Amino acid sequence: MNDHLRLALDTAVQRGAEYADARLVESKREDIHVKDGEVGALDRSESAGIGVRVLVQGGWGYAATDELTRDGLSACAARAVAIGAASALVLRDRVRLAPEPPHRAVWCSDCAVDPFTVPLERKLDLLMRCSEAMRGVRGVTTAESFLSFLRRRTRFISSEGAELDQTSTRSGGGLVALAVSGASVQRRSYPQSEGFFLARGYEFIDEVPWIENAGRIGEEAVALLTADRCPSGDFDLILEGSQLALQIHESCGHPTELDRVLGMEANYAGTSFLTTEKQGVLQYGSPHVTLMADATLPHGLATFGFDDEGVAAQRWPIVNAGRFEGYLTSRETAHRVGEARSRGCVRADGWHHIPMIRMVNLSLMPGRGSFEDLVADTDHAIHMETNRSWSIDQLRYNFQFATEIAWEIKKGKRVRMLRNPTYQGITTGFWNSCDFVCGSEEWKPWSVMNCGKGQPGQVAEMTHGAAPARFRNVRVGVASDD
Amino acid sequence: MTREEARALLDRVLAAAGSAELEASVGGGENHLTRFANNEITQNVTERRHVLSVRVARGRRSGRATGNDLSDAGIARLVASAEEAAKVAPESNDANPLLGPQHYREVDAVDAATAVLGPEARAREVGRAVARTRAANLDGAGIYETGHGTIGDYGQLGTLALANTNGLFAYHTETSATFSISALRGTESGWARAESHAASDIDGDALAASAVDKGLRSRDPDTWAPGAYDVVLEPAAVSDLLREMNDTSFGALALQEGRTFLGGKMGTPVLGPEITIRDDPYHPLHLGSPFDGEGVPTVPVTIIDRGVARGVVYDRRTAAKEARESTGHGLPYPNTVGPYARHLVLEGGGATLEELVAGVDRGLLVTRVWYTNIVDPMSVLVTGMTRDGLFAIERGKVTRAVRNFRFNQSVVEMLQRADGMTAAVRAGGAVCPALRVRGFRMSSVTEF
Repeated sequence: MNDHLRLALDTAVQRGAEYADARLVESKREDIHVKDGEVGALDRSESAGIGVRVLVQGGWGYAATDELTRDGLSACAARAVAIGAASALVLRDRVRLAPEPPHRAVWCSDCAVDPFTVPLERKLDLLMRCSEAMRGVRGVTTAESFLSFLRRRTRFISSEGAELDQTSTRSGGGLVALAVSGASVQRRSYPQSEGFFLARGYEFIDEVPWIENAGRIGEEAVALLTADRCPSGDFDLILEGSQLALQIHESCGHPTELDRVLGMEANYAGTSFLTTEKQGVLQYGSPHVTLMADATLPHGLATFGFDDEGVAAQRWPIVNAGRFEGYLTSRETAHRVGEARSRGCVRADGWHHIPMIRMVNLSLMPGRGSFEDLVADTDHAIHMETNRSWSIDQLRYNFQFATEIAWEIKKGKRVRMLRNPTYQGITTGFWNSCDFVCGSEEWKPWSVMNCGKGQPGQVAEMTHGAAPARFRNVRVGVASDD
Repeated sequence: MTREEARALLDRVLAAAGSAELEASVGGGENHLTRFANNEITQNVTERRHVLSVRVARGRRSGRATGNDLSDAGIARLVASAEEAAKVAPESNDANPLLGPQHYREVDAVDAATAVLGPEARAREVGRAVARTRAANLDGAGIYETGHGTIGDYGQLGTLALANTNGLFAYHTETSATFSISALRGTESGWARAESHAASDIDGDALAASAVDKGLRSRDPDTWAPGAYDVVLEPAAVSDLLREMNDTSFGALALQEGRTFLGGKMGTPVLGPEITIRDDPYHPLHLGSPFDGEGVPTVPVTIIDRGVARGVVYDRRTAAKEARESTGHGLPYPNTVGPYARHLVLEGGGATLEELVAGVDRGLLVTRVWYTNIVDPMSVLVTGMTRDGLFAIERGKVTRAVRNFRFNQSVVEMLQRADGMTAAVRAGGAVCPALRVRGFRMSSVTEF
């Protein structure tokens, strides 16, 4: 396979590329989904292909193919060069790459139990038992359970001399119980909506108490049908970790992607309110808020040795004690904020797509105190848990989230369950209202599995660590009209 | 991949089936996309790929394996993997026998010139567009994308060809061309987009002119208070909101699970009397696939007829539960999603956009909506943002820019309160008109 890479790279350089890299990606995946006791998916997939990225006269070209023959690879590299030359026809400034030493390394994520060696029967048995536990709750109308495993090996070489061979394995799954009555549809999921994943092997699946929680979420889904409606108004808000993870993702992660800031996503995902003159100046959040980007986070879904343009993994502050400090950058963009080196945030979701700036793992650093301490410290608040829907404007100011469930907290105690909770705000006002972040004993790495960006659209996965936190005077319930 | 190439490939798979019942499909093709921002090309890509998917059925058990190694060895590996999965899969109560040969309508959706359009031609079209944004002192950003085959927006692959050991063979391919442009200055922006099967229908210069016009008129927006406004929604906005209704409401599985506003309402008025919604792959602005992921011929389905609920779309599994025929809207079996209306048509009316605007005393013209998401599936309560051109309508005229709103609006109620529409055009994958809607609920203002 290394011969394939070398042939593609050499062809690109011979045809006039001033810079070229070639990435061979082989992936293997297994998805098993059970719905109401029936198998909804039992899929195994494999994919292999190569992507060639070039700079020609300062313009980008990218071509990808799964024709892994000499002719197929040469033709792919030639297409990349022709495309690069076409890009140069409409170019203001030649692309300039920040320097990076040409690393030569092999890297592999942790995986104690290879999920692809675990028998399908064992996985199906777990999912069926979860499904039965949810369906055993009177009033549950639909029960879904799923597992998914992915292994990806990426070999990368560049005309600068980089030679990298990286393999990552991720595992995870989720449970969803639905209860329907009249015009009301209530949903509870576990451990989080869209599933809970880490870059680990099957040992991770064995550690999660799936069965123990299946019945609980079924009961909560049914209880929500008759729960009180979440009130509307300005309330103190407590967010549990997985909802906070999505809040971090949408209101901090995306607006600090430097390609967005520079207008490269303007037509689709949008731009960003975190324009470059605000770096080091803007009080993004309260002093309780420190957000760290970390491509070295143990078991993170965006943890790697090197990104997809060969830059070594790094850890750095995005928001430090409330102040906005850092961006997610690439070799192409780093110099636009005066940085000599890329932060290493460039990834693609497969060989067929060009690498671009994607969020690495981004986490809210823990504060102090247990969740019980937080509740005891709260006079009156709404505590929301598990995302149900999300939306944010294209500059990442105005957001609205709905969660599956909420509880009213009064005088330090949880007093009642609430249905259809939503909250809304403006990013900087929201993070500046944060006055309590729980400690490391409550901190967990949560997953985002469906991060869409780019054209052609790409789906990335990443981890956001968070502990429950409190925000003062947040607009709650504005979407409710039932 | 031509019909003959697809048949030859799938024949090789069927030959590897041995004694198993087997269904095989192939999807993919070529996709090319030139992306620009700040009046220059910033990304320029092409991909060529095909993926083979094999489902082995053993009685009521089945397993699926997917891969892109189309060699004989790769095919043998896929068949063995699907076979192994089928052996351990539990028996399904929903399993249907493999279909026999079917008759499909011919849909000619290939434009030969689009299929071979190269990067220089795309660059020239982009060059014309950004010359116009540059001349207006605006930043042009967008895409020019062409494709041949079934590669979707996020790389997902539709079915190019499907065959099984019971004699079925189906094939459909199409070309596509999309040009989208934003004209921006700081936080102010205008936007335009066109999509067609033929690149000759794309006029980047005209789209740039439209985006520039809106971009320039977006200066210094007024701030209006949240509230219910009469609105004129341009087709791109209607398309996005209609998609949310489709995702939650128009499939038979949602009906059978009690998750759609159509439950128990067949034959009764549910939307406004001007609203007719169909799924129709044969509509001249769609020219979509004449078969579904199960190989069933797709028949046009009227979902809403002048406001009255008339039907939903079915796959084989949901049809069997009601002892009826599938309408040909299935995804590859098995799946948890159920049937899906892939080619929506919201029939248009006879008004012009100006006439719709003339019927609004104080309201808003909405170019486009963004980041829509379902808050409540039963009422199709959707939240999202306006974007890239929100304008005041005062005494029947478009007057000035307005700062963008977040909305929380039931699409059911929206379509109950629609009282005017233009002719339908293709927008965002649907065919739909601009709509005038009374009392659209804007819930908060953003910062631009």
